[in-house]
Amino acid sequence: MNQGGNTQTVAPLDPNPIEKRYGVEGSQVQTSPYQYSTGSDAASWTTHSVDNQVVQQNGNYSNSNYYHPQPPVPATGNVQETSSSTSGTVNVAQDYSAYTPYQTPSDLQNYSNTGYTNYYSGCYQQQQPSQPYTQPVGAYQNTGAPYSSFQNPGSYAGTASYSGTYYNPADYQTTTGGYQSTAYNSQTAGGYVNQTPTSSNQGNYTSNPYQNYTPDAANIHSATTATATPVHYQQNYQQWPGYYSQTEVPCAPGTENLPATSAFSQSFPVAGGVASEMPASNGQPAPSYAQNWRQETDSSQPPPQQPAAAVSASNNAYWMHQTPSQQAHYPVPPQNHYQSPLETKPLYETPIQGHQRATYPQELNSQASIHQAPLGYRQPTQTTPSVDTQRVSKIQIPTNPRIASNLPSGYTKMNKERSPAGATQTPAYVSVSMSNPKGHTSAMPEPGTFPKALCGFVERAFARCKDDKEKASCQAALKKIITQATNDGTINTRDWDIEPLSTVLNTDVTNTESSSAPISSLQNKSPTRRPKSRWEPIVESKPFVKPASTFTSGVKFGGWNHPNVNNKKSSETFQKVDAVTGSKPTYFAQNSAKKSFQRPVKRQRFAGGAIDDEESSDSEKELTPYYSSAMSLASSADEKKRRDSRSKRFEKVQGHSRGNDIPKPKISNVRRGTALRLGEVLDESCGSRAVEDMDWDALTVKGTCQEIEKRYLRLTSAPDPTTVRPEDVLEKALSMVQDSPKNYLYKCDQLKSIRQDLTVQRIHNHLTAKVYETHARFALEAGDLTEYNQCLSQLKILYAEGIEGCTLEFAAYSLLYITLHSNNNRELLSSMSRLSKEAKGDEAVRHALSVRAAVTSGNYVMFFRLYKTAPNMNSCLMDLYVEKMRYKAVTFISRSCRPSIPVSYLAQVLGFAGTSSEGTGEKENDGMEECSEWLKAHGASLIADSNGDMVLDTKASSTSLFMPEPEDAVAHGDRYLDVNDFFTRT
Amino acid sequence: MAYVSMGEAHRRITEYLNRFCDAVSYQDSSMLCRLLSFSSNSPSLLSLADALNVFQDASSLIRQSDKFSEYGEILAHLFRSLQSYRVGNLVEAYLAFEKFANAFVQEFRNWESAWALEALYVVCYEVRILAEKADKELTSNGKSPEKLKAAGSLLMKVFGVLAGKGPKRVGALYVTCQLFKTYFKLGTVNLCRSVIRSIETARIFDFEEFPRRDKVTYMYYTGRLEVFNENFPAADTKLSYALQHCNPERERNIRMILKYLIPVKLSLGVIPKDELLQKYNLHEYMNVVQALRKGDLRLLRHALQEHEDRYVFPLTSYCTYLHLNCIVAVFLRSGVYLVLEKLELQVYQRLMKKIYIIQKLSDPARAHQLKLEVIAKALRWLEIDMDLDEVECIMTILIYKNLVKGYLAHKSKVVVLSKQDPFPKLNGKPVGS
Repeated sequence: MNQGGNTQTVAPLDPNPIEKRYGVEGSQVQTSPYQYSTGSDAASWTTHSVDNQVVQQNGNYSNSNYYHPQPPVPATGNVQETSSSTSGTVNVAQDYSAYTPYQTPSDLQNYSNTGYTNYYSGCYQQQQPSQPYTQPVGAYQNTGAPYSSFQNPGSYAGTASYSGTYYNPADYQTTTGGYQSTAYNSQTAGGYVNQTPTSSNQGNYTSNPYQNYTPDAANIHSATTATATPVHYQQNYQQWPGYYSQTEVPCAPGTENLPATSAFSQSFPVAGGVASEMPASNGQPAPSYAQNWRQETDSSQPPPQQPAAAVSASNNAYWMHQTPSQQAHYPVPPQNHYQSPLETKPLYETPIQGHQRATYPQELNSQASIHQAPLGYRQPTQTTPSVDTQRVSKIQIPTNPRIASNLPSGYTKMNKERSPAGATQTPAYVSVSMSNPKGHTSAMPEPGTFPKALCGFVERAFARCKDDKEKASCQAALKKIITQATNDGTINTRDWDIEPLSTVLNTDVTNTESSSAPISSLQNKSPTRRPKSRWEPIVESKPFVKPASTFTSGVKFGGWNHPNVNNKKSSETFQKVDAVTGSKPTYFAQNSAKKSFQRPVKRQRFAGGAIDDEESSDSEKELTPYYSSAMSLASSADEKKRRDSRSKRFEKVQGHSRGNDIPKPKISNVRRGTALRLGEVLDESCGSRAVEDMDWDALTVKGTCQEIEKRYLRLTSAPDPTTVRPEDVLEKALSMVQDSPKNYLYKCDQLKSIRQDLTVQRIHNHLTAKVYETHARFALEAGDLTEYNQCLSQLKILYAEGIEGCTLEFAAYSLLYITLHSNNNRELLSSMSRLSKEAKGDEAVRHALSVRAAVTSGNYVMFFRLYKTAPNMNSCLMDLYVEKMRYKAVTFISRSCRPSIPVSYLAQVLGFAGTSSEGTGEKENDGMEECSEWLKAHGASLIADSNGDMVLDTKASSTSLFMPEPEDAVAHGDRYLDVNDFFTRT
Repeated sequence: MAYVSMGEAHRRITEYLNRFCDAVSYQDSSMLCRLLSFSSNSPSLLSLADALNVFQDASSLIRQSDKFSEYGEILAHLFRSLQSYRVGNLVEAYLAFEKFANAFVQEFRNWESAWALEALYVVCYEVRILAEKADKELTSNGKSPEKLKAAGSLLMKVFGVLAGKGPKRVGALYVTCQLFKTYFKLGTVNLCRSVIRSIETARIFDFEEFPRRDKVTYMYYTGRLEVFNENFPAADTKLSYALQHCNPERERNIRMILKYLIPVKLSLGVIPKDELLQKYNLHEYMNVVQALRKGDLRLLRHALQEHEDRYVFPLTSYCTYLHLNCIVAVFLRSGVYLVLEKLELQVYQRLMKKIYIIQKLSDPARAHQLKLEVIAKALRWLEIDMDLDEVECIMTILIYKNLVKGYLAHKSKVVVLSKQDPFPKLNGKPVGS
């Protein structure tokens, strides 16, 4: 059904892209089939996001490399800016400022509302100048770094300070490492908490990039890897579209992504097939993948076929799109950003890694190579090798720590697997390289402007760089490759995924082999870290902040910005934006369009991977405000059209990503991981989203812990599946606790941890009821009413859901509790009225009802008789009323009886006898003792009568009786809050 | 739904709009009431609803004229509500009506005089009724009923508008009563407290100046509240006030009041005549009264058991009420079970008195000594099995609660009654005081 819905939504979208593609092809693409395909991608691009002008520009540049034209432009721009940035901080600062606004949007996206306002202010201020605006685009890419600074200041001050932005860029590029770590941290509550605000921001940011990344990854992996990612992707896209619309250049990247997405969505409609294929692809990733690619290319070539294309075709198309998108990304520096975000997302990576490892070890390498190629691209565009190197170095640093952490945590296997694949360069890095591919894949989405594969390639290459030198060399090599590719017109056509990293690296290596290796290690590490990064301290992210890296990023951004600036459209967009603020209609229309599109997608998501769906929906929500703002900015009809098309693409992309996700579920671990990450991402990045809109099913954890005993620790972060026990283990744990000879404190602790694991895994069945029942009984036994009440309220819910349990027993308890403790007539009546006939026949319930009658009438004799014959734990609840009842009884008796009453009688009637010892004779005596003690404590006057028996002088007692203060009583009623106790504890 | 031509629909809507605007401009409250009263199902409103369903673009009609567009928001919501109401979509109808009510109250706030109070009453009433219907619809769809709760908060808002000084304050009590009804249905009776406080502590306005109808309703509900709090004397005064001022023609209302007043009176030692019970069809109390007269504990317990489901009112379970309405509908939604249960001690007292009188007949000299064994035997005749300990316990309670004067000699197992008035009457005072 979902698929159907998707297909429908997709269908309208598809035709447009196709048509557009055709048009594009006709105008621009002419030469090779490859170009054709790229052209189709480009067409989608152009139609969706890229303005006609852009297209024209591209066309002017070259048919085949539609994207190339852009890159060159940015490159020039970049060169200027970068040069300025590198040489003079002032220029950079400007760029950054422009950039910062951009970042703010990204932040905003994550944070949604708050960020938004900032974004506006920032954007407007900076955007008004066309150049700054374009720069923002670049900044956007860089954003990762500005992020931290940005968020903190929320203002431009941070941007002005070059270092801040700087840092961000570094993060950005390195991002994989830094981002991952941050994102990671954010995901894992612990790490998150530890992290500074910037880190948290990064985390949020990362989530977005991650999302972007994920889609890319999904594309790369043929949707197998990215279940969760798609959503993010969409979000990112949405956000991006805004950006794109604002600045043409960014649009181009976005458009690239969009086409990919659209292709994706198309495949999605096919969804069922896609999903099925996906698993298949997972299982046999490499073959299917390759096929898909080919098919896609084919399909893309014949534009009409694409819409009608089967799932495979859709996949193919998807791939094709990816490639184009990558190309597109290539020109746009943002790729780096993307990469980093991608890397940052641990969940995503892990699944991806797993896929890659299992299925695509070779592919990974190829991907890495591809990534390297993108790197080369960047270099040319950036024109400042030094910058790149700096980035690399920065990246490396962050990545390394992360990697290390990640590797130990649980991805060692992954690393190992990877290592063989990536081993080509360096053993240590080999594993890294594996992760790198993933990172690259993730990066791919960001690169939107460049071919994803290329981006990935570049990232891989950088990942292998250990230090700045290596990075620099690597960058140089990449630049060469990319420039060469661009010149050849093969950037788009070239299979960067397959492109051996060694080519770049070797070239790089020749320049700086060691550096390349470290880079790869870094990248690898970063992915590995992702999974564990949550738990890891924030500190790791810091290394990324290195100034050099920021510099490079800044340069890149600058380059980007320049292209944007160069683009007339960007300036126009800016103006438009300004005007747009006033013009809401366009915005609304776009929003509505988006919504309509998104909705179907959401459905699909739900049907498919719940987790992904959730994220996507969340991301969509968050994005929508931003998006809308962006939309508002673009007032021109062209832009509107573009945006619409883009939004459609995004939707499609989402669908694809979902489709990718769907296959994933098979891998439970991956799923969990993604779920966790997603949850974290959601929490952090989408804090503003409505809770009710989240699909909690998707976030449900499946525990893997086999320990039977577990201490209770209140969760401060998303639960870690490795510390959560699955149901069968919990069952054992429960019986262990039940049979445990240890005291209540231990049992309570254990039961609480069991309850936590149940809750976290959302287990609602007889076991849950059993656990709560057990805990309630233990709590009753120990007189722990707070815990008992918690359990009882849960039990009521469970019973109401129809889960079987000791319903009647606990109905009796609750009746008793109300009569004896809450003394609320209304509650009592309602719970009485709820008793069924059958319940009233139950022994425990009948007992509870008679206790109630005895209490309301003050019939102490009846009460203590019932006390002695109480079934289940009824007596435990009555225990708590015994004191009151005895006092009441003695007051009655001393008022009514004359002249005296024997204590022995009182001991018998008031339940003293028989409570202390077993023997009949002894019992009486003991009861006597206890009773007289009790009477004395309550101010009764005891005398000996003529027979020497102890009797209660009722007349004297009637005025002297009092209720002694409980020894542990505290004025505020909670003895656990006793001040002295508090002092002793502290 | 009868077919309505476009022109006809247009005519009807325009006519309604004209009447609405006229009613407002001429401050014709009764006309306004008629125009707003959904639940009256008046033919004119129904035909309007049909017209609205035919002529979908009523809002353009409203916008056409300045006269209408002044109340455009009010009318648009009202029309939408009426439309949904007509097609049976009660949830939608409620939602639209809630918006209408908000807009209307806003407008009402701006009107200097209180001419539209009656219309406001109608709005308040319709909100509550519509909410209940919407909840029923929600329940039947398996969703959680929440509209009545929303209506409660809306009414609270209305109360805030009226509760201040000025001529509009007269309407506060009506809204209060609607709130009571809502809260009692919802089982959130504790929410009544704040409203009551603001009514009873405000000295600017004498309670007696409120309309009688509202006063009676108010007293009825506050009396019921006092029953739950087991504050019987207060419940007695309030319910008696309600009974006295109630329209004697309204038997149903009288019966409702008596349903609470009788148990309260019983617990204060005042026994109603059988004619009263018969006249108002309060047969469920017949046996209780009989038991009290005869000291027949068994009869009392029987009566309680027989009518337990009636006496036990699921106060807090409005939701259960909706979900299980087939079952719960059987309940006499009274909640006086606990009150009646407390009558047991009076029955014991009556029984002791009976024994005492019988003993007096046979042996006047020792009549004031009631042997516990004798009491136990008497109870056994009533098929109630109690041993001496329990009997002793009952006797101590009776003595303690001042239902029996005397003392209990434990050693000899005898209750020694006071020679003077051994069984004091309650005379309007609650047991145990």
